[in-house]
Amino acid sequence: MEVIRLDHVSLWRRTQEEFSYDLKKTILNLVQGRYRSPSKKQILNNIDLVIHQGEKVGIIGANGSGKSTLLKIICGIFTPTSGTVRVRGKIAPLIELGGGFEPEISVVDNIIFYGILLGFSKQEMKGKISSILEFAQLEEYAEIPVKALSSGMTARLGFSIATDVEPDILILDEVLSVGDAHFQSKSKQRMDQLWQANTTVLLVSHDLDFLQKTCTSAILLDKGNIKFIGSVHEAIKIYLE
Amino acid sequence: MEAKRFNKVFFLEKINDIKRYIDLLEILVTRHLKVRYRGSILGVYWSLLNPLILTGVYTAIFGAAFSQYYDNSILNYCLAAFTGLVVVNFFSSCTAQTLLSIVNNGTLLNKIKIPISIFPVSIVFANLFHLIVGAVPLLIIFTLVTSSNILNALLLLFPLVSLNFVCLGIGLIVSSLYVFFRDLHYIYELIIFVLWISSPVFYPSEIVSDNIRPLLNLNPLVSIIQSLREITLSGNPPDLSLVWSSFFSGIILVLLGLICFKTLYRKFIDLL
Repeated sequence: MEVIRLDHVSLWRRTQEEFSYDLKKTILNLVQGRYRSPSKKQILNNIDLVIHQGEKVGIIGANGSGKSTLLKIICGIFTPTSGTVRVRGKIAPLIELGGGFEPEISVVDNIIFYGILLGFSKQEMKGKISSILEFAQLEEYAEIPVKALSSGMTARLGFSIATDVEPDILILDEVLSVGDAHFQSKSKQRMDQLWQANTTVLLVSHDLDFLQKTCTSAILLDKGNIKFIGSVHEAIKIYLE
Repeated sequence: MEAKRFNKVFFLEKINDIKRYIDLLEILVTRHLKVRYRGSILGVYWSLLNPLILTGVYTAIFGAAFSQYYDNSILNYCLAAFTGLVVVNFFSSCTAQTLLSIVNNGTLLNKIKIPISIFPVSIVFANLFHLIVGAVPLLIIFTLVTSSNILNALLLLFPLVSLNFVCLGIGLIVSSLYVFFRDLHYIYELIIFVLWISSPVFYPSEIVSDNIRPLLNLNPLVSIIQSLREITLSGNPPDLSLVWSSFFSGIILVLLGLICFKTLYRKFIDLL
């Protein structure tokens, strides 16, 4: 069953560095007749892509080739300038939550907050609190504000919330790995669980060995174009040339 | 057959979207209030100090000079100043917070798909809660004391709802524009000051010259303050045309805000 389908997807984005961000300058430029509309850059060019259920797809390419942008288009964060994106099933981006917590409110409140942002209902999240706290080894800290946690604890909490999901499609921009040695082995196990047979996985990584071991197919992006889709081995070979 | 099925799926998805929006709204509002009060609901009353102190200052300075416009009663002046301050204070703090709301959550919007409008809307709701717990009970007491008519207390709903519509509309506009113009908050401070000084908060509108006074009505807060004062302080059944005009300006501003937001929001993500 196909779960993700992109037809002729192109994306143009405004280049931020050229933008003035400034009302005063914009008005003065308008008055002096020097105003020009902001320039746009093509990030993705006519992407056609079909991914079936259970596929583990690695995405490779040089920096700035559009890998993360492609993931964001599939997540629905960006809307394509032209073309259509269709996704079937619950999609979960595994994101680094570490920096995003609200320091003043308690660990439990932050868990519920991020759970809802990630697409769960409040009831579902209330049921998950104890397992998340247990996995993050923070049971004694439930009612303590996040600002009182150490940076390692915060990272563990972030990982535990982000991976406590049962998505149909898992989106990974670089593999998450946090914490001390003990937690790292736990988090590796958890990642292996997420890699179950029927979960579709999309993964951006520069760790080519890891991709070769874990992915069933690969996409090679080059300046916003798909240069190659197919076996991981082949894709890496072309990429390295 | 196929089309019918599609409609049903579409409909269910819409319902889910609405549920998610409400969940998100609830969680953002509670987060906002929790950060603000850190566990003590009395914090709401702390923020009533601002209008109370200003009322005291205005009464001390202008009370003697202006009381002739308020049936020669310092108390009447004092109450009029307080109701005006509640409105202007609410408006300026609510819209100033809303202005920053989209840009401040830019990182989050780049990581997870969230309806962008949730951020300005949640700030307005958090402030509304604040208003309901803080100043509204006082206003209801004033109304009941002066008019001893429960219907008047119910009519309070109209100026307060209009006030929130005005805040929501302007909040949507300024938070959208702030994405593009990051120096907007300096200019917005000036706009708030103009709205504040052009609302008859601490002076009677009679002292403004007849040529200028119609211009004051362009300020959407003026009709809100006037209808609020009529309901709470006059003791008479209020002039309904005033109530409607404040309600109407609220609706117009919400529509303007929605139009502004709808035309711009697709461009936000490139600049966050």
